[in-house]
Amino acid sequence: MKRRLWMSFLATTVAVIAIFTANLATGTTPLLGLDLQGGASVILEPAEDASGEDLTVIRDLIRDELERSGIAEPNVRVQGDTIVVELPGVKDQQAALEAVDVSGIVELRPVVESSECSSGFAPETPLDGVSVDPVSVPDDTVGRRSLRTPSEPTPVLDLPLLPDESGLPPTSGAELLPTRDGQVLCVGPAQGTGEVFERQSAVVDNSLGFQVNVELNGGTGPDGRTGTETWNTLATQCFNGTPTCPRTIPGSNGQLAIVLDDVIQSAPSVNQPVFDGAVSITGSFTQSEAEDLANILNRGAFPVEMVAQEAQTISPAAGQESLRASVIAGFIGLVLVLIFLLAYYRWIALVILGGLTIWAMTVFSVAAFVSSATNYSLSLAGVTGIIVAIGVTVDSYVVFFERMKDEIRNGRTLKNAAPRSFKMTWRTIWSADLVSVIGAAILFSLSVGSVRGFALFLGITTLCDLFVCYFFTRPAVLLLARSKFMAGRKAFGLEVAS
Amino acid sequence: MNRPDHIAATGPGRLYRGQTAVDFYGHRRIGLVVAIIVVVVTITSLFVQGLNLGLDFEGGQAWDVPASEAFGVDEAEDVLRDNDVPVAGSKIQLREAESLSFVAVQIEVVPTDQAQQITDGFAAAAGVDVEEISFAFTSSSWGDDITQKAVRALVIFLIVVAIFISIRFEWRMAIAALAAMAHDVLLAVGVYTVFQFEVTPATVIAFLTILGYSLYDTIVVFDRVQENEGKYASVRMPYADVVNISMNQVLMRSINTSISSILPVISLLLIGSGLLGAIALQEFALALLVGMLAGVYSSIFVASPLLATLRSNTGRKSRRERLTGEDLRTAVVGAGVSGRISTDVNEADAEDGSDRIDVDKTAAVHQPAERILTHPPRPRKKKRR
Repeated sequence: MKRRLWMSFLATTVAVIAIFTANLATGTTPLLGLDLQGGASVILEPAEDASGEDLTVIRDLIRDELERSGIAEPNVRVQGDTIVVELPGVKDQQAALEAVDVSGIVELRPVVESSECSSGFAPETPLDGVSVDPVSVPDDTVGRRSLRTPSEPTPVLDLPLLPDESGLPPTSGAELLPTRDGQVLCVGPAQGTGEVFERQSAVVDNSLGFQVNVELNGGTGPDGRTGTETWNTLATQCFNGTPTCPRTIPGSNGQLAIVLDDVIQSAPSVNQPVFDGAVSITGSFTQSEAEDLANILNRGAFPVEMVAQEAQTISPAAGQESLRASVIAGFIGLVLVLIFLLAYYRWIALVILGGLTIWAMTVFSVAAFVSSATNYSLSLAGVTGIIVAIGVTVDSYVVFFERMKDEIRNGRTLKNAAPRSFKMTWRTIWSADLVSVIGAAILFSLSVGSVRGFALFLGITTLCDLFVCYFFTRPAVLLLARSKFMAGRKAFGLEVAS
Repeated sequence: MNRPDHIAATGPGRLYRGQTAVDFYGHRRIGLVVAIIVVVVTITSLFVQGLNLGLDFEGGQAWDVPASEAFGVDEAEDVLRDNDVPVAGSKIQLREAESLSFVAVQIEVVPTDQAQQITDGFAAAAGVDVEEISFAFTSSSWGDDITQKAVRALVIFLIVVAIFISIRFEWRMAIAALAAMAHDVLLAVGVYTVFQFEVTPATVIAFLTILGYSLYDTIVVFDRVQENEGKYASVRMPYADVVNISMNQVLMRSINTSISSILPVISLLLIGSGLLGAIALQEFALALLVGMLAGVYSSIFVASPLLATLRSNTGRKSRRERLTGEDLRTAVVGAGVSGRISTDVNEADAEDGSDRIDVDKTAAVHQPAERILTHPPRPRKKKRR
């Protein structure tokens, strides 16, 4: 019995300290939330239901997009059915927010007769001489695309995504949309999304003027068709000038508009009915135009539209202040509690000191592990959760020691009272802690935002409490109760019979 | 009063030694009256003035601009006016803290470019860099989303907890625990609506913490009730007495735990809010403080009397008056030992015969501690394994 207690006590202590030291040595610390270090954060939510796979795709896209725009170490992660983007330590917050604002999805919409649109003032003249060819076919189409200054802002959506009340589409689904040059085209309903293109495959090819090459997606989409099939169906219609995709310009095939956020990025005419795995978009692009288009096509694999729900920037000064304040507050709180308990329980409170140290180390290690494994950061909500948890953790000791006090007062020896007390106390502790864990688990799985972070750390601290209580406190108190050290000392301010 | 010598002479001394004899059940009307007041005040205030919902629930944009002598509430209003934002529909307040003071501005949703102009305006007016200004945006649907999900989580949580307590203890305890919890949360919500503190996600967290803490505390108390119930099973002790004895026994533990839980919160209140003006930590900590105190109070004055009332209507008939005064004290002190109180010597504490309690059945609760344990327990025989 005694040997097993020593084993448990030593194994727990050594293991926890070893893991803690290893964490410190390798610099693995809990990932700090934005509110503790300053920076910008945006929470995006899909406009309609999205599968976990879709969200993962979007997460990667956003991350690529941010890295491309020169933001170091963006922290993009899927949380429940939202995507959280955190940009710690970002200096130019407004620029960061704009970079995150990658809400749009790319649609493929055939250009239709302007009479289909109710107002019907769309110009009849061909706008773009841009055409779509298979990669192998050399460029023979010369465009008359008007020039656009590279500094012109990219028409991404404004952050507060108010519902667009102006351009309600008529029943046919056709609507007038502006092009990037400021002209207007009448386009039919969306026949496909940017998902038809292979993700991250669009490249700018400048061998024969600037052109954009993009591969078609061979994988099956949500409608059960591959990207190539969807694209080819559309391309055939446009090539043949069917009513879906009529020849609006004499002498040219039907045009297929690439639309992002209700702005036509490019409206190439289709020069070939069937494409084999890759598409090349040619025209009189400038380098920056070609690059923009490539980026949009790359980004276009957004399976669903994302809407920014919450955006926040916190100045680094305020963030660090918060961190400092919560660490100081937590530390002072802990010291006050320890002083109180030492004064109250005297020698046996040494166990509390040890137990809380082990508990804090365990919480630190688990938090570090959890945040590196799942990307959950320790936010201010989590820190307050931990500070509050100090009380519940200490309660395990209080319940235990009060029970021992009762037993001793009734004439039992310390050695005799300890194991009986633990047996009764353990029942109480696990019942009460289990309620906390159940609550934390339910909150964690069902809620969003900061409540989630709070629930996560509440759960972690409670589980750590149960662990420390059984594997450290129990052997420590039982051994101490048997030892000669305690004999004749005041354990609870009571004279203990020896 | 004539007390035996082993009972401490002073109140705190008795409290320290676990020798109190408060008739909690007898004073159950206090708990009832307080609970009714809390419910009435909270609901009235909710109807009259409602809750002061923060940005995250209403949607909008908010800035925290470092305040200085040259930049205060009036200057912030000027910036808004310059940008065609109606000042009437905006909330502007000065949050002062020792090291950092902020002017907190909150407006309804405006487009990004306009928001950026306002940010620049604030930076120019306050004479600080743009990066020193904290900015937050929340769509109006987001707050509903958070609230809906939190409420759904809460309902499921309550059902699961009710089932858990019913299995682990019994259904009447589940009712009493949930009633005490509702009481605590109502009290905390009452504080927020009466004083019109701003409700933020942090507040929701505070409410959830209170809820969890209240349940935790109640379960610790009920565990002792259940244990004592088993202990007195053969003595046919009235349930109200069992509850009273249990309450007095866990009183010191409740006080200790409350102090241990509240010390960190107070430290958060004093230190945190001095430095953290930005998230209104003071109100958060205040809500926690009120809620935790309420949690301890309600588990003793609401949950336990309610449990006793629920049980006394269905349970065994009591043969005599409730124990009070010194009788109660004796019972509280006498019942401290683990094991059953019973006449049958062989049955008592069968697994640990060395510690059996050698007492008369009905007299068990009237014996002072010395006589319950007539001799110091024999040490356990050393068994080498």
